[in-house]
Amino acid sequence: MPIELILVEVFALFLFLAGNYFLKKVYGRGVSKFFQGVLLLIAAYIIFKYIIFPPIPAALLYTYMGLITLVVFLLLSTTDQSWNEFKDPIVKTLEGGSPRFKTIRMVTFVLVPVLAGYGSYNYMYPKYQEPIELRTVHPAPPASIQVHGSELILQKARSPFRVNEKGDYDEKVEDRYLKANPFDDKGVAYLKYVREGGEIFFQNCHFCHGDNLNGAGMFAFAFNPIPANFTDPGTLAQLQQTFVFWRVAKGGIGLPREGFPWASAMPPWEKHLTTDEIWKVIEFEYWHTGYYPRTWD
Amino acid sequence: MNKVNGSRNKNKFFFLILAGVFFAASFLLIAVSSADDKGKDAGKPTAAAAQSGRPDKASPEDLEAGKAIYFKKCVWCHGPQGAGDGPAADRLWPRPRNFNAGTFKIRHTGSGELPTEQDLFLTVTHGLPGSAMPPWGGILSDTQRLQVVRFVRTELVKDRNFLDKDTEEFHVIDFGKQISTSADSLAKGKEVFMTKGKCVECHGNEGRGDGNKTQKDEWGFPIFPADLHKCWNFRGNREDPYNPKNIFREVSTGLNGTPMPSFADALSIEERWNVANFVISLCPKKNIDRNTNKPAIDFVVKSSFTQGEISGDLNSNAWADTEATWVGLAGQITEKPRNFVRLVDEVWVRSLYNDKEVAYLLEWDDRNKSVGPAEAGNYELQPADVKEVPPAGEPVAVKGGDGWTVFNDSVGIQFPQKWEALNSPEKPRFIFGDEKNPADIWKWDASGGVAEYTGKGIASPLTRREAQDVKAIASDYSNGRWRVILKRSRETGDKDNDVQFSTGKFIPTSFYAWDGNNGDKGAKTAISTWYYTILKPPVPSKVYSVPVVVVIVVIGIEFWLRRKFGKK
Repeated sequence: MPIELILVEVFALFLFLAGNYFLKKVYGRGVSKFFQGVLLLIAAYIIFKYIIFPPIPAALLYTYMGLITLVVFLLLSTTDQSWNEFKDPIVKTLEGGSPRFKTIRMVTFVLVPVLAGYGSYNYMYPKYQEPIELRTVHPAPPASIQVHGSELILQKARSPFRVNEKGDYDEKVEDRYLKANPFDDKGVAYLKYVREGGEIFFQNCHFCHGDNLNGAGMFAFAFNPIPANFTDPGTLAQLQQTFVFWRVAKGGIGLPREGFPWASAMPPWEKHLTTDEIWKVIEFEYWHTGYYPRTWD
Repeated sequence: MNKVNGSRNKNKFFFLILAGVFFAASFLLIAVSSADDKGKDAGKPTAAAAQSGRPDKASPEDLEAGKAIYFKKCVWCHGPQGAGDGPAADRLWPRPRNFNAGTFKIRHTGSGELPTEQDLFLTVTHGLPGSAMPPWGGILSDTQRLQVVRFVRTELVKDRNFLDKDTEEFHVIDFGKQISTSADSLAKGKEVFMTKGKCVECHGNEGRGDGNKTQKDEWGFPIFPADLHKCWNFRGNREDPYNPKNIFREVSTGLNGTPMPSFADALSIEERWNVANFVISLCPKKNIDRNTNKPAIDFVVKSSFTQGEISGDLNSNAWADTEATWVGLAGQITEKPRNFVRLVDEVWVRSLYNDKEVAYLLEWDDRNKSVGPAEAGNYELQPADVKEVPPAGEPVAVKGGDGWTVFNDSVGIQFPQKWEALNSPEKPRFIFGDEKNPADIWKWDASGGVAEYTGKGIASPLTRREAQDVKAIASDYSNGRWRVILKRSRETGDKDNDVQFSTGKFIPTSFYAWDGNNGDKGAKTAISTWYYTILKPPVPSKVYSVPVVVVIVVIGIEFWLRRKFGKK
């Protein structure tokens, strides 16, 4: 769970407790245990379903709800007193002890079968949702690939443009130039490459991968699966530069079987770009997101 | 005794309501404090920049910070001098804004005036839907967005000066009293749209942007009036596309740099609200995806069973009652000739089937009807005369001018041949199939012809097949909208090449649209990814019987519970 989610939950719980405390203090009575339980469940559902963004998958939502239900029951049954307080209204309703509880019982006894009937009808009525296709997003790369007639051994290859002021290969070169201006003519060689990579990116890639490299380009909405989000730490930051090179050069078509070659709209960019151009685009992507590529060590 | 009980119950009820209010309040707080950028807008910059009108002088620190952000994020489209000529500019439609003249579309200020700082801040925050400008809220912090806005207005707006009291005035528009939407308001709004407001002259009879199609913007680039049936593409409209407030603003301020004038003088506040309500009423109500600001996509085209003949009447109830699937189209930019400027960005698809046949109704907006000679024989994939980007400065809509060839408007549906033999996720490549998995393509073009092709990938031309079974049983172009019905037998004799339609199966399907006036032809097309067609089988009877059993069981349990507890 992301930290924001936990914070939101804690905050909601805190508000709830504070509200209850306030009620007790002013009116001498808080919310009854039964409604505390119900309200907590409803609150959790609303948070999971409508407040967390991006939305979580339904399966995860049910798992969370299951956990919360368990926790609520544990909380309610910590002492005999609280458990009795919780079940009291339920038992009273079932008994129909007073005219008021009789009314509640009647309403509940009518509502429950109606809801159960509607729920099961709704559940059973065919919805025709798109079939689920689980695919490996980062399949294992091959040992080497052929690009533009030369062989690239993925374990050994290095970007020729990831260089420091002295012109040496430098893994952490971003450190110094993250905030630098690639359009500054007096910039170092690395920034010049970043700029050239950016120009290629913005002429070819941003339509899908987005101006922010977050997979939300102006054409992205039309695709399924959606284009990769490079600002997600699960992509560029997890990968070696040569892996990225492989994916860019060979595109969706170049994926192995488990990656569902034909599901991805990504073209093999080796058809449009030279090897150097691909390396420059990759430099730009790392510079722009501020991630370092993973190394083989 | 009873009395005491009653007042206690009353109290309890009161507590419950109070608890409910507490919860509502806490959720509101959560919604505001969550990671969403909506909440942040309500914070600092609003306080700092909300002053309507002239901004303060920007501090050197803000300018420096704004510059650093600009040269990381914005320069690629807007260019190092802010002239709208970054590396991406030539391939974008609409082009990125040139800041130099201080001309901005989305404002709360009068026509021809500079925007307020808050206007620029909101534009950067929400982005401009329908263009490449993304929403920067959630990407850049409030402070960062404000800094970049300050850098742009100070350093890149060169011809005008926000601080010059002699030359610049800021007249923030008066929203007056909003008129809520009603049948009366819509009727009055339509009246203004068609007559006094003259909106119809540019936006067309049905508001599809097909009125005056040969206009240019202030820089001489071609520009189209908005298609009012796609409110998700309205520039100043992200966050709440169905809010007439945005339309009221644009009608009142005009869009600087474009032919859209301000109607603040021509129309009363009341008339402008009515027009705004009318304009919003044209846009189909869809569930908007918060990530893309386009209608949420359901990747399944559901074909409904119909008794007897499938209707070839475009206005029949049989079609109107069928669920329409919204299909988003991207430019085909991955294979040459590439379509960077795709002008058809969506197709609405409906489908019906009966015992023997299946039919698709395809509807899409295209401002120009382009019909040329029929295309015969082999369909060339990469004709040499197809240009990827419109010649700079020339209206796309002008027929044939300056090396810009106009072709037939066309639409296509594509299926994998022998999809039954494919293992679940496996499909042909979505652009005309591939060598291993050929595609079955139906292509209708405006000269009236329907043809069936076998696609074996982009490298080999489409092969036109004999024994054609697909028929166009209806086609119509009116007021900027094409409607075409294609029909075919569900089963054919050519099982190797023709897709076969069986019920209850997900049949991969994708769509193409070519805009002839945009010079679209062959691979220069707008394209969807793979959707699925499903011929909905009859609803099984257990859908109705099982719930009845459930209800009976639940009632049984209730009786048992009542007995058990009631006797006490």
